[in-house]
Amino acid sequence: MVLPLLLVLVALCLALAAWALAFVVRDRAVILRQLFGAGVVELALIVQLVVAGVLMGRGHHVNAPLFWGYAATALVLLPVAAAWAFAERTKWSSVVLMVASLVVGFLGFRMWQIWGAA
Amino acid sequence: MTAAPTGKGFGRLVVTIYGILAFAAVGRSAYQIPTSAPHVPLAYWLSGFAAVVYVVAAVSLGLGRGAWRRLAWVTVGIEAVGVLTVGIASIFVHELRSDGTVWRMFGMDYGFFPLVLPFVGLWWLWRTRRAVEPSSPDPSSPETEPESER
Repeated sequence: MVLPLLLVLVALCLALAAWALAFVVRDRAVILRQLFGAGVVELALIVQLVVAGVLMGRGHHVNAPLFWGYAATALVLLPVAAAWAFAERTKWSSVVLMVASLVVGFLGFRMWQIWGAA
Repeated sequence: MTAAPTGKGFGRLVVTIYGILAFAAVGRSAYQIPTSAPHVPLAYWLSGFAAVVYVVAAVSLGLGRGAWRRLAWVTVGIEAVGVLTVGIASIFVHELRSDGTVWRMFGMDYGFFPLVLPFVGLWWLWRTRRAVEPSSPDPSSPETEPESER
């Protein structure tokens, strides 16, 4: 993993969460544009993971099963949560999106810890 | 079935958090159990058990009707008992305290969500035991079947 990419990922997660929070406050459901936002977060995550894979190929030592376990969870979580949120047409869909994006940001942070630990 | 579905409205959030814990517990035990084989400590088996319970609870709350509702009562109930039992045991038993099981110290590793969530789940199942029809002119809807089996 590379720190600037991690910071971009976490910033995007926080931005998406803030956007969703604004919708919670206004009692609105998730809109399609927010799903594109989730897509951008997902893309940032994929880029980060590709970079991580390349660095591991070049000999960076990491607890691979643990790292990829977190990576797989983070990859799957947002699309599933976004679909689950979008099917609900109340403000609770925005709460779901907010929680999911915060968790993805947290998983990114945990992956950074695992990356540096080994 | 006159009970309201458990996966709608606020329930969507409950299912989401169950889903996230299911991911976390499955991930944790999928890592812990194979990497410690063949001498898998009890704590890791408990993580695996918790993982299965979370997955079934998330799915049954998400579907939330009929038999799924009953299954949700059972799994959320098991979870409430499990987190309290393992939580109390982990105060006294070193093996359960030091090495991670999901329910150790009442789910401390997961921000105590495992402690709070089953009671939110039970409350939600109780709350949705009858369908609410806000537009219905007759508030005294027919009696629902008793759903009091914990």
